[in-house]
Amino acid sequence: MSTTRSATEGGAIGSLDVNIQLPLDRFELDVSFTSTGQVTGVFGASGSGKTSLLESVAGLRRQARGQICFDGESWLSDSPRLFLGPERRHVGYVPQDGLLFPHLDVRGNLLAGARRAARHGGHEGTFDTVIALLELESLLGREVHGLSGGERQRVALGRALCSGPRLLLLDEPLASLDLPMRRRLLPFLQRMRQEFQIPMLLVSHDPLEVQALCDDLIVLRAGRMIARGQPQAVLTDPEVFPLAAQEGFENVLQCTMEDSSESGLRVWLGTGDRRVALTLLHAGDQARIQPGPKLVGIPAHEIIIATEAPQGLSARNLLAARVTAIHRSEPLALIETRLAADDTPVTVEVTADTPSQLELQTGRQVYLVIKAASCRLYDDGSQVHS
Amino acid sequence: MSADSLSILWLTIRIATAATFFVGIPGIAIGYLLARYDFRGKSLVSALTGLPLVLPPTAVGLLLLRLFAFDGPLNAMGIDLDVLLTWRAAVVASAVMSLPLVVRTARVAFDGVDPRLESMSRTLGHGRMRTLFGTTLPLARRGLIAALILGFTRALGEFGATVTVAGNIPGKTQTLASGISAAQQAGDDARATMLMSVALVLGFAAILSAEHLSRRRGESSAR
Repeated sequence: MSTTRSATEGGAIGSLDVNIQLPLDRFELDVSFTSTGQVTGVFGASGSGKTSLLESVAGLRRQARGQICFDGESWLSDSPRLFLGPERRHVGYVPQDGLLFPHLDVRGNLLAGARRAARHGGHEGTFDTVIALLELESLLGREVHGLSGGERQRVALGRALCSGPRLLLLDEPLASLDLPMRRRLLPFLQRMRQEFQIPMLLVSHDPLEVQALCDDLIVLRAGRMIARGQPQAVLTDPEVFPLAAQEGFENVLQCTMEDSSESGLRVWLGTGDRRVALTLLHAGDQARIQPGPKLVGIPAHEIIIATEAPQGLSARNLLAARVTAIHRSEPLALIETRLAADDTPVTVEVTADTPSQLELQTGRQVYLVIKAASCRLYDDGSQVHS
Repeated sequence: MSADSLSILWLTIRIATAATFFVGIPGIAIGYLLARYDFRGKSLVSALTGLPLVLPPTAVGLLLLRLFAFDGPLNAMGIDLDVLLTWRAAVVASAVMSLPLVVRTARVAFDGVDPRLESMSRTLGHGRMRTLFGTTLPLARRGLIAALILGFTRALGEFGATVTVAGNIPGKTQTLASGISAAQQAGDDARATMLMSVALVLGFAAILSAEHLSRRRGESSAR
């Protein structure tokens, strides 16, 4: 059976059913969920049990009790007692530090799981696809100890993809990298998600990452699930937001770029009549940015909210939106809105008394004022920097 | 170098090589068990395999002598190896004496392999055996070679236990170590010096290659 092919031909994505208990040092991990989308995110502070959950699904935690079932196949069960070894679960596991084999070169690492892929057939061409997708061609003959952090993570992702996985388990695949590198690798993950359509469980504490990649988000605290749902909605939940805002909460919008104009960079939100332009600044070489779908990040605290269309502003972007919810978490208030252009949720962070002063309420039409410099374009590093 | 000291050198190398073969696989296997598994009696196994390191070699020799004696426990079980006072006894004695070095060095070599790399191999579809041969052993390789070289050098210089079970018979069980002792006691200074020089060169070469291997290992694991 070819996972890649059946998935790209539109076959149903295998669903993961988890209900496990695992005693950890400070608490017991006790989580139960059934994945619904292609990419399920697991979000939480460090030490909340995210990695243990992922390792249990990979089959690396023998002490886990309960049930794990993937695509109708039981991996773990209490009655009858069953534990399927990690080598029989067909997962592609990518840990935070990549964990490349130091005794093999890059090609050897990429092919480390290829036997399994070959055994199950249908993966001719996967190797070449992965090489092209993750731009690994020039690294093939290199020793792993000479690779940079970003290169290592790309090889680790490639190795997982080349092993013919039915399920990808990504444990903070970008967390060991510095921020600019993280932003540069994000598009690779997005391409991976689109090209292979393999179901994924993605552990992350980066709100941007989960917004950009996940359909469904689970939040863990001390081993328990405290929230679950559509990523933006979950992240702005008053319980979760302080966690999401640690590094500053950033809205992630999907947009399209047609071509780079002379007066700064312009992308489009939404399609058809309702589409609106967003002007932004980009630090890199604009001419190198290829047209196509992009991601734009806008920090929630850098958006100004207005009840009337303001005049004579220096800010380049004025987007019509409507308020969908207001949360107070002193000393701040979070105003959730949806853009008139494409219904994209955008969260705005204001001081706690702003909603009452502006008489904001659910359903009210507002304008979001955004400076071009506040918008960050997340684009493929290879196109911008090489 | 005289034909006599050449034949002693040859016998010594043969005995040490045979002892290394004898002790290599079980020593490495015990080192692996101690490094990777927790089991009942683990500290007992660790202590037993370390015993030859702390006992006087003659005590180990005496133990082996009792074990192999015609009224000893092996004979009582119907096993007559007829090894006493032969070169095979020297092999057994030096193997027992080098076991602790092989076990300990192999254990350190396996300890140096990140178990997460083994887990990674498992998730890529490799079973336990393939993971052992494809990941663990290649990663521990340098340390394991160093373990064998150390075991070999220990066997080269073994004296106390060997003399006790194999004797010191010229042309039959006399090794470099026992040859030096015999020559020195007989007042044959020239012969003692000659054998000592041969031992010096041999030992130096062995230690240098072990150092070389462990240093390169250190470099690669520091990454």
